[in-house]
Amino acid sequence: MSNFPTFRTFGERAVLIDWPPKIDMEINKEVLSYSNFIKRFFAEELLDVVPTYHSIAVYVSMSTEINQFLEKLKEAVLSFSEAQNHQPNIISIPVCYEEPFALDIAEVTKEKGLSIPQLIELHTSPLYKVYFLGFLPGFPYLGGLDSRLHVNRRREPRSHIERGSVGIGGGQTGIYPAASPGGWNIIGKTPLRLFDVKNEPPTEINSGDFIKFEPITATEFDLLRIETESGTFRWRKEAYDD
Amino acid sequence: MMIKFIASGLYTSLQDLGRFGYRNLGVPVSGAMDLQAATNANMLLGNDPQFSVIEFTASGPVLEFEVPAAIAICGASFTPKLNGVSIPMNQAVEVPADGRLSFGRPTKGLRAYLAIQGGFNAEKVLGSVSFYQGITSQSHFSKGDVIDFNVNTENSSPSFSSELRLATHFDAVEIEVMKGPEFEQLPELVQSLLKGGTFTIASNSNRMAYFLNAAEAISAKEIITAPVQPGTVQLTPSGKIIVLMRDAQTTGGYARILQLTESSQNSLAQKRAGMPIHFRIIDPPSGTLV
Repeated sequence: MSNFPTFRTFGERAVLIDWPPKIDMEINKEVLSYSNFIKRFFAEELLDVVPTYHSIAVYVSMSTEINQFLEKLKEAVLSFSEAQNHQPNIISIPVCYEEPFALDIAEVTKEKGLSIPQLIELHTSPLYKVYFLGFLPGFPYLGGLDSRLHVNRRREPRSHIERGSVGIGGGQTGIYPAASPGGWNIIGKTPLRLFDVKNEPPTEINSGDFIKFEPITATEFDLLRIETESGTFRWRKEAYDD
Repeated sequence: MMIKFIASGLYTSLQDLGRFGYRNLGVPVSGAMDLQAATNANMLLGNDPQFSVIEFTASGPVLEFEVPAAIAICGASFTPKLNGVSIPMNQAVEVPADGRLSFGRPTKGLRAYLAIQGGFNAEKVLGSVSFYQGITSQSHFSKGDVIDFNVNTENSSPSFSSELRLATHFDAVEIEVMKGPEFEQLPELVQSLLKGGTFTIASNSNRMAYFLNAAEAISAKEIITAPVQPGTVQLTPSGKIIVLMRDAQTTGGYARILQLTESSQNSLAQKRAGMPIHFRIIDPPSGTLV
């Protein structure tokens, strides 16, 4: 373990485990590996285990005594040594950067002094790490946006952004898994559904995975949307090697 | 066995104890805003406390029953009527076939719960029937909707005589809280304002969050996005005070300054816009900082 975490109760039915407050790949790797371990080791007593960048909230059931649980959890976590990470995948997300989806692409390219092909190249080159899911059901917090695409959020947030919209704002990029109000600059849209209650689990993307955006044309977008709606779409994934 | 919504009431929804096991995917817990009242309504009918109940807020629905049923209503003090005749809250009541049930408006509190013997029949999505937009097909009931219930009541024994004496938490001004993860990082002045100040509930409060107005401006720095839960009190850099409620998101980037106890969450859920509250900071469950 690179840094020993701290343990404390968070309300009456949760334990919060904190690593140093940083957005850091190594810290987050530990967070995710411990959260997988805790989920398996304490399955009976748990309601939920929620990892974020540098913290884990462990929510316990009503019948669990929180202080005894905290002691057991601490002991188990501090004596745990093997990596328990799921094999991370690289998940391909097709994005159409064309009209009518790329609402703000003209403005962003103008502001950043880029051509549209350059913006697409910068946005589709990196492997984005999924630190965790939160904010909206199925929303991945991604790391790895090229600094040349760091741009202020819109001064006037939109009251309605369509499901699947891909945006950039501040140093972040992300995909709206559901229609939502939002202030990010919209540069494209994916026809995929990031969150679908008809599937178990409802999301294909897990914390710790990597995302690769693939540019598609408006025609390909329509085809993939039909596949998604009819349930014939197959997600493209490959194993990520460290 | 159907019940029909002749009128929907406000924000009327089906709720149970919550949706667990999916918070790591960003799915809110949801569930009844006043879990104690919801549980009481089920208990009065000998139901499993996990059964769903109809939650309504400020203005109740009008319901028509196709067949006889036993019901119980708990929570805010509404003025329920069956076929125009007043019926009591907090006890089991028999509804005849073609019974028409109305609730009026609450004299105290904000939300009440209708339980039915045998339980409502609704599809569970991700382990819970609790309505939430984007998860369940409905986010609230509308006029003309119908809901099904089970008449198989073999295992339940309604307590028709035992009226529940509920502690009236509707008038209590004090809200019990524990220090939140970022409390100790707040300047002493802010800490003492939280301990001594009066806050009033803002009008845009809902199932996701209650917003509080303070007499003196306070604020806190943003944090790196971290876990939040129902009952977490957030303080923003621009000075907004947000108490997260049952439909809250699972993670957040504002300082988590306080955490409401489970019973305070029930109590706050019954408070209306304009009402004053004080925070009383209590110790966490003993022996916490290890």
